[in-house]
Amino acid sequence: MDQKNLILAIVLSVLIIGGWQYMFPPAKVVPPTQTATQTTVQPNAPATAPGSTAPTAPGASSAPAAPGAAGTAPAALPLDKALALSPRITFSTPELLGSISLKGARIDDVELAKHRVELDPKSAPVDVLAPLGTEHPYYAEFGWSASDPALKMPGPDSVWSSDQKTLEPGKPAHMVWDNGQGLVFALDVAIDEQFMFTVKESVENKTDKPVTLFPWALIVRHGEPKAEGTYVLHEGPYGVFNGSLKEFGYKDFKDNKREKIETTGGWVGITDKYWMAALIPDQKSKVDVTLKGTGPTPETTKYQVDYVGAGIAIAPGATGSTEGHFFAGAKIVRVIDAYREKLGIEGFDLVIDWGWFKFLTKPMFWLLEWLYVQIGNFGVSILILTVIVKALFFPLANKSYAAMSKMKRLQPEMEKMKQRYGEDRQKLNQEMMQLYRREKVNPAAGCLPILLQIPVFFALYKVLYTTIEMRHQPFFGWIKDLSAPDPLTVFTGFGLFHWQVPEFLHFFNIGLWPLFMGVTMFLQQKLNPAPTDPVQARVFQFLPIMFTFMMAPFSAGLVIYWAWSNTLSIGQQYFIMKRHGAPVGKQAAAAAAVPATTAPADKKPKKPKKG
Amino acid sequence: MTSNGQLAPGPLNRQFPAGMISRLSSGALRGAIRFYQLTLAYFFVGACRYEPSCSAYALEAVTEHGALKGSLLAAHRFCRCNPWGAGGCDPVPAARANLICR
Repeated sequence: MDQKNLILAIVLSVLIIGGWQYMFPPAKVVPPTQTATQTTVQPNAPATAPGSTAPTAPGASSAPAAPGAAGTAPAALPLDKALALSPRITFSTPELLGSISLKGARIDDVELAKHRVELDPKSAPVDVLAPLGTEHPYYAEFGWSASDPALKMPGPDSVWSSDQKTLEPGKPAHMVWDNGQGLVFALDVAIDEQFMFTVKESVENKTDKPVTLFPWALIVRHGEPKAEGTYVLHEGPYGVFNGSLKEFGYKDFKDNKREKIETTGGWVGITDKYWMAALIPDQKSKVDVTLKGTGPTPETTKYQVDYVGAGIAIAPGATGSTEGHFFAGAKIVRVIDAYREKLGIEGFDLVIDWGWFKFLTKPMFWLLEWLYVQIGNFGVSILILTVIVKALFFPLANKSYAAMSKMKRLQPEMEKMKQRYGEDRQKLNQEMMQLYRREKVNPAAGCLPILLQIPVFFALYKVLYTTIEMRHQPFFGWIKDLSAPDPLTVFTGFGLFHWQVPEFLHFFNIGLWPLFMGVTMFLQQKLNPAPTDPVQARVFQFLPIMFTFMMAPFSAGLVIYWAWSNTLSIGQQYFIMKRHGAPVGKQAAAAAAVPATTAPADKKPKKPKKG
Repeated sequence: MTSNGQLAPGPLNRQFPAGMISRLSSGALRGAIRFYQLTLAYFFVGACRYEPSCSAYALEAVTEHGALKGSLLAAHRFCRCNPWGAGGCDPVPAARANLICR
């Protein structure tokens, strides 16, 4: 029976590990983005189909190309070649490097100045956007559509003119396009020191008739990016509409599916784990948002999010205009929250996936960030955070450890009672009750203090996994990235040899910190009283090993938290148990080995010394 | 209702044997509790205020009183386990009235 239980327990534990890894995927080192798939590069479809009364945002996907149609698949160009295809206005700010294509007035080249693809500062910078012609084009466009199909609107191939070659904060770029029918379109793009573009669209009506035009903005991304595909973090199209967040997966838009939402205020965008492109319409006007995908396979699908504003009537001789914002950059918490305040963007803080437990994860982040500002190292901040958590539960834990030491001392006696009364549970209960009374066992603190620490652990996990602030942040020694697993692993001889450890060995490829964590769990177990249930006791002996394997692939920051937390607990527990005269370590093992009959039965407990 | 005032026999009146349902559900519950005891309970070693522990209590309660009443008893027990609760010996009440802890 016991044997069966043990096997069952092992099988179940393996299931738990599997489930755990599935639900809480470990941090991964982001590989350089190199996929062999080729994207069909096709020119954008022409603007709104004639005859439609309701204007739709034109752009890449309003006329899906038939599969196998004329669109040949030219080889993807390297970035510099693709950029050379059209005249450009370039910009270079402390955070962003890139350019705007005058052909189509597209913001299609944005590179992050301060963020690299890999830990190595010499690795490639992160590209948020990419122009047409590259492997995975990703860009934003702004324009107008008209209900009168005879009116020529600027399209994806319209080449705008500008006197400027560069754009910098405080000096917006001015672009003009004349439709030859008396309408002069202008686009003023301003950039700030961070990641926000302000886009003012205007139309001067030089005809003798009033016109009504509908402003739109869109973001198109070609091909589904490699996402981590987890439940922990959202990646893909999303937005805040009428005050509430809606998240979509790329899969939601396969087979040309679309989603239409009418909203006042909010934003719509496409996000990766750390970077995002988002459109922010005027917060006081009603706009029609569409999210859609066009294309046969995920690799060739063009994912588009756009909004169309209400029609603007422009009298002869007058100029109509509208203004919106476009974000392309890193989701840095302070920056995002500042934009939300400054521009009054509804729900802009939700661009970062704080999860359902935002009330926990966000305070956790602020506490860590505040500590970081004081100390200058996120790893040390995690250590101090752990001390704070332990301090909060210090009195309760002390109480538990005191009860535990008494229990541990009484254990031989209880074993003896069990043997004596065997199956007579009533008698056994009675005797145990008397023993408790006689020995004045104060009840432990209960499981509540431990339960309360679970959300702390989860919040730390989520913050380490989600926020860009933790990315590439070092601790001491060999830990250069707290959000990635410990790199000094068993199969690399703890950093002695550099080779690609094969996939099937990854599970066993444990780092130094996870090993240390396993040791702390083992030591703590030695201090705890063994469970009275023998199967439970046997299974628990294996759990430190199991948890070492389970935690090994997780972010080093989380493993350090756990190891440090255990270390603090062990210190506290050891001190309290010594003080209460409980057998600790070797003594405990000896006591357990002594046959129950010779165990001290009626020894009075020592009064705990008052501190 | 049929003409003579009796309930018409219908699919709603067909029932699984009551014993089977309760056996199945209490079995599933006991499996889940055992699973907890052999895994997550690890983190709660030594924390219990009561003897038996909540999970042992639940296991016994479900075995002795069935899935429904057993779960209620266990839930009630779990709610008593807090830093302000009494603690100590608190066995599952026997099917017959029995006050062993008094």
